[in-house]
Amino acid sequence: MQKLQLTLAIIKPHAVSNPVVLSFIRNILKNKFIVVKTKRVNLDTETACRFYQEHVGKFFYNRLTTFMASGCIDLHVLGHVNAIHLWRKILGPTSVYKGQFQDPYCLRGMFGISDTRNVAHGSDSEDSAEREIKFFFPEFSFYHWRLDDEEWFRRGPIIFNDHFFQHVKKL
Amino acid sequence: MHAIKVLLRNKSAKIFSGRYYATSKQKIPDLEEEDSLPVFQYPTSKASDRNMYMWGLAETGALGIHMPRGKKGRKQYRNNFSLCWYPMRSAFAERFDVEHVAAGYGFTVASIKTDEQHKVFGTGINTDSQIGYHAPRIGHPLELLLSPAPIFLPYKSLETKIIGMDAGRAHTAILTDNEGVYTLGNNAYGQCGRKINQNEDYKGSVNSHNIKRLGGEKITSVCCGQDHTLFITESGKVFACGWGADGQTGLGTYDNRAIPAQVKGDITSEKIVKVASTGDCVLALNDQGEVFGWGNSEYGQIPMQCGSQQVNMSYSLLEFCRGLGKITDIAAGGSFCLIVNEAGDAFVWGFGLLGLGPNVKHSNKPKQIPSTLFGRNEFNTDSRVEKVACGIGHLAAITNDGQLYMWGRNRQGCLGLGYTKDQYFPLKVAIGGHVLKVLCSVDHSVAICRPFT
Repeated sequence: MQKLQLTLAIIKPHAVSNPVVLSFIRNILKNKFIVVKTKRVNLDTETACRFYQEHVGKFFYNRLTTFMASGCIDLHVLGHVNAIHLWRKILGPTSVYKGQFQDPYCLRGMFGISDTRNVAHGSDSEDSAEREIKFFFPEFSFYHWRLDDEEWFRRGPIIFNDHFFQHVKKL
Repeated sequence: MHAIKVLLRNKSAKIFSGRYYATSKQKIPDLEEEDSLPVFQYPTSKASDRNMYMWGLAETGALGIHMPRGKKGRKQYRNNFSLCWYPMRSAFAERFDVEHVAAGYGFTVASIKTDEQHKVFGTGINTDSQIGYHAPRIGHPLELLLSPAPIFLPYKSLETKIIGMDAGRAHTAILTDNEGVYTLGNNAYGQCGRKINQNEDYKGSVNSHNIKRLGGEKITSVCCGQDHTLFITESGKVFACGWGADGQTGLGTYDNRAIPAQVKGDITSEKIVKVASTGDCVLALNDQGEVFGWGNSEYGQIPMQCGSQQVNMSYSLLEFCRGLGKITDIAAGGSFCLIVNEAGDAFVWGFGLLGLGPNVKHSNKPKQIPSTLFGRNEFNTDSRVEKVACGIGHLAAITNDGQLYMWGRNRQGCLGLGYTKDQYFPLKVAIGGHVLKVLCSVDHSVAICRPFT
């Protein structure tokens, strides 16, 4: 059996504040992925700027960081054999205005409002996933994950804990 | 049980054992008596009646209509939204005289004609208190309202009239005749016109902010984009507050603005009569019928010489709209703009399903949507488009005979055409009334109609 891949999913403020959208997204996460960690945070602009350092200088950098700092965001560490690709496929094209016609039933096509308010963020590669998870979950140990937890989450038994919104080991 | 049945059968058999016949006497109708009998007057609607029709996503409660849901599975709703495919008449508007309506992202606000405290009602998503504080238990505010509930606002006098309102992604602005504007909801960018409080919790907030006057003048009109608010004062000046990352506040910066300030650029000396904004792009119309614009221009909504994608000051689109005549109505969507001229022709530019054919298009120049599509033909030569509205991805036009045409991206059935396929050209929506005003939000639409009589 292939090893589990990890990715970071960030649900953006406008989707978190819409209960209909949030329950739809959470249903997908719960059923298609193993949710390893979940956290809800309220970013400040400096943290958002540090997170999106790679986009410094682009014209959308200011609006992206101010948007991310405008409300609560949900952070999920997702595990799946093909997590990065699958989550980006479920999300759909980055640009909502263009992507909603190519793929109307992806998350961004259904719930995105504009190119910035595009429902959620997904890591684009294994390296950036590791960097982003470390950024938001400094307590998450990749060493322990590879050594121990990965196999448990892959083979089970695990159950879903609705209160924490994450899968936990069934002891 | 069986014994009782037998007993009953025996008893009834005894009672009806005799035979009865109907009388053979017929009543001869008396003509004089017939004239004196009262004739039932069926209720007819008055010309002053207003109906409200709503369609689109009913799941959020924004329609205030309870849609039946099949009993397929216990948590079926998570994958299967309840939609209103066709315009449905709102029961709320039958009970109250609805005057103004605003459609935000997943919520609707309506004002009624009354001299009592509860003048404004709201329904839908309430996670940022954009439709007031509603808690069945103290300390447990509702996140979602499925039917209209009154919004408490601290009016100085109960004679105050509501003269306009608009709603954005998570905030509401309510304009009164002599108490200025009341704003409710999310203020993370300053879109409520008050100081930004970094760690404010908007859920279950009871705050409302009152902006009495701007620049020493009364406010006559208010318009909300997704995360910004625009005000027009008596002399036609435009003030803006809220998110400015795309330049939508038009203040010459890309920063958030908490206290409304006057929009800079070409419109400072003009008398503006209308501003339109749904997404992050703003259009303004002056009393001469000239168009101005600022804000997001990624898809060429505000064409600039320098090719800038974010326009942070108002610019005149006089040269751009040359030859279109006097413009009478404007609407700005997420990635496109729609305008109407005096002759009743609709022009569109930008990116998306513009109504110009089956392909998703990008248009740099205003292109006319063939007027035949709005019902102008040799039998009906004076059909004109009078009002237009834009949602994020869908467009709407009202003709002079009160017909509503809609087209564009059909997200969650917001076009009201009975299906969720995208619509490539304007198509008439089946509404049982003369449409006076239409409001498009992200995934639902509202129309105010008067009866045909």
